[in-house]
Amino acid sequence: MKSLKLFILASAALLSGLQVNAFCGFYVARADAKLFNNKSEVILVRNGDKTTVTMSNDFQGDVKDFAMVVPVPTVLKENDIKVVDKSIFEKLNEYSAPRLVEYYDSPPCPVEIVTEDYEVYDMLDQNWPAFGNLTMSVADESNYRVNVEARYEVGEYEILILSAEESDGLRRWLTDHDYKIPENADEVLDPYIKSNMKFFVVKVNLHKLSGSSFEELSPIQLTYNSDRFMLPIRLGMANANGPQDMIVYTFTNQGRVECTNYRTVELPSNRNIPLFVEPQFGDFYKALYEKSWKQEGRNSVFLEYAWDVSPQQSVKCDPCVGPPPIANDLVKAGVDWLQNGWQGTAYFTRMHVRYERDKFPQDLQFQTTTNKERYQCRYILTHPASGDMSCEEGQKYLKELEQRRKRELDELAALTGWGVKNGNSYIKEFNNRLEDYEFSPVMTQEEDRGGIWTLLLSFLGISTLIMVIARAGKKRKLQSLPA
Amino acid sequence: MSTSILSLVKKHPIFQDPRLFQITALSSFLAYGVFNLDWITDLPRIFTILSAGIFTQLFFMVGLRLPFDSWKSGAITSLGLSLLFQSSTPLMWILAPVLGISSKYFIRTKGKHVFNPANLGVILPIVLFGDAWISPGQWGSSAMLLFFFSSAALMVLFRVGRIDTSLTFLLTILVLEYFRSVVYLGWEFDWLFHKMSNGSLLLFAFFMITDPRTTPNASGARILWAVGIGVLSFVLTSWFYLHTAPMWALFFAAPAMVVLDKIFKANVFQWTSIKPLQS
Repeated sequence: MKSLKLFILASAALLSGLQVNAFCGFYVARADAKLFNNKSEVILVRNGDKTTVTMSNDFQGDVKDFAMVVPVPTVLKENDIKVVDKSIFEKLNEYSAPRLVEYYDSPPCPVEIVTEDYEVYDMLDQNWPAFGNLTMSVADESNYRVNVEARYEVGEYEILILSAEESDGLRRWLTDHDYKIPENADEVLDPYIKSNMKFFVVKVNLHKLSGSSFEELSPIQLTYNSDRFMLPIRLGMANANGPQDMIVYTFTNQGRVECTNYRTVELPSNRNIPLFVEPQFGDFYKALYEKSWKQEGRNSVFLEYAWDVSPQQSVKCDPCVGPPPIANDLVKAGVDWLQNGWQGTAYFTRMHVRYERDKFPQDLQFQTTTNKERYQCRYILTHPASGDMSCEEGQKYLKELEQRRKRELDELAALTGWGVKNGNSYIKEFNNRLEDYEFSPVMTQEEDRGGIWTLLLSFLGISTLIMVIARAGKKRKLQSLPA
Repeated sequence: MSTSILSLVKKHPIFQDPRLFQITALSSFLAYGVFNLDWITDLPRIFTILSAGIFTQLFFMVGLRLPFDSWKSGAITSLGLSLLFQSSTPLMWILAPVLGISSKYFIRTKGKHVFNPANLGVILPIVLFGDAWISPGQWGSSAMLLFFFSSAALMVLFRVGRIDTSLTFLLTILVLEYFRSVVYLGWEFDWLFHKMSNGSLLLFAFFMITDPRTTPNASGARILWAVGIGVLSFVLTSWFYLHTAPMWALFFAAPAMVVLDKIFKANVFQWTSIKPLQS
């Protein structure tokens, strides 16, 4: 029966009147701490029906104001809960982040040695998320129809596992234990309670924490067996103000992970963009993401990276933004099948989802596929050749360069919606890098890809074709009949 | 005026032969996928499946001296597979339509084939080789619903296909999901709407379980059969978390069709027995 139990995992932060966003749920905060959490990261490892989830939120606030509520399918045992080193998130993020790659044209006229080289830039320096803390007192649970099923100490955390019979009781329990919760929390807690979920409340044991900074808190890792491979996002939208971003790093021993109830879309990749984008690559990628997000109807999951990172694989990225995760990192992330001799397949999929309530009515559900195709978000800068251009090849090169730069500007506009006011000088002045470029963001309109029209036009077109063929067939039949 | 237009439309070949209607609709989805959902990189897979399917059908057509008309069934199976079946091994792209279409001539009872060829074409490679999958989320849910409902309306209006099976199946899922997810669990209505507007579910409902050759002959039996598939899909989705539950439900329901045909007597469906609609 355990396997049939509905599994939903959500972290919950209950906080009134503040802008709180979190990945699987909402934070629990006792005081009116100022919290900001627009981006969160989670590692999901799936092997058969065993799932290991490592959660990290970019909670920023006072440690003592924080706690987290995580619905789980069953009363987890103590050794199903672990704390892991937060550096694993940094490693995975750096390694799989969208990348900018730089190439140099070789001089067209035969003077220098032909070289082609590239440098790699990391996209964003992402601030590290952490958990906060709250000291919680457990009072008489009988009035609330809330039971404390288990109590553990793991790392610097104290964990209580609660079971509730009704959302109102759980809400009152949390309120009476000094948590402020969003007004509409009942509505979102209800489906999880009715699915027979347990809730565990995480708080920090301040005595076990050497410093008082939330930055020192470790991510929590849970392991459970469930048929269900999903991530709950609905709880986190209870009091969210605007869209939230979540990066999901997944590992399987088969191939890519994809979302089954929303589209999984590859972002445009391997595009040539103008040189002057280099210092603003972070902004460029954000604009690109936003444009794709709107274009895909704001309800898709985006693929940012997909690669076989098994220890025996030699090429793990092209080019690598950060050092590839070693087997030990993967084991830490929950890829436990690499433990023995570090042999086996580990397929890495990185997804990025920006979600908000009206476009994501359901939690994210995933499936493992056998698709091992590689994919990475990669953008290319090409530096022009320098030196003598007087030879025939040199003149030809300059003309081609002009065309190429035109295409780069078009590409930039198509990817990000950015217009460049003085783009013409970039096209013409091939030898000097344009330093004083000026962007004019033109991305305001929601783009409609006209899906329904494609369908209708195809339908009409194909039916016309069939009619023509049918008529021609009839005519031939009539002609072949004896008079 | 409006009646004359209607009668003119009724004369269109796609409303005279339900198979032509299905081919038109499925090709439109394929065009939608390629142009709107960026399936450009999937074109090799799509073409391989389509050609393998059509060649298999031609092979049996020549070998068993089947009427030329049977190319349409082969085309429907191949189009259905190209829309649903995914594999990273090109051999599977060939195997799926070959297995599916061959099953029509090898697994038969009383003049009917037992398994839906597209359904078996998807299930067999998954079961036998493991290197295949279905992507239920690939459609998104924006444009699909409207188009499927207009398809359904056209099918009802022009009395093509076995729309009773489609609607019964969808209604069963809708009612069960409504009571479980909305009434009992307490999800909002748009949760249900999102579930029901899944492209793969609608594709399955309108273009797979409507195959007259693998549905029970009697209309009462068909309703019972569709309810059964709906209930089984619902159970497989809600308690076993199978994202592709309807496909499996149809697979398991195939033998039930044989039993239902024994209990409920009716004439075996023949494509050629369809009379052109009166205009």
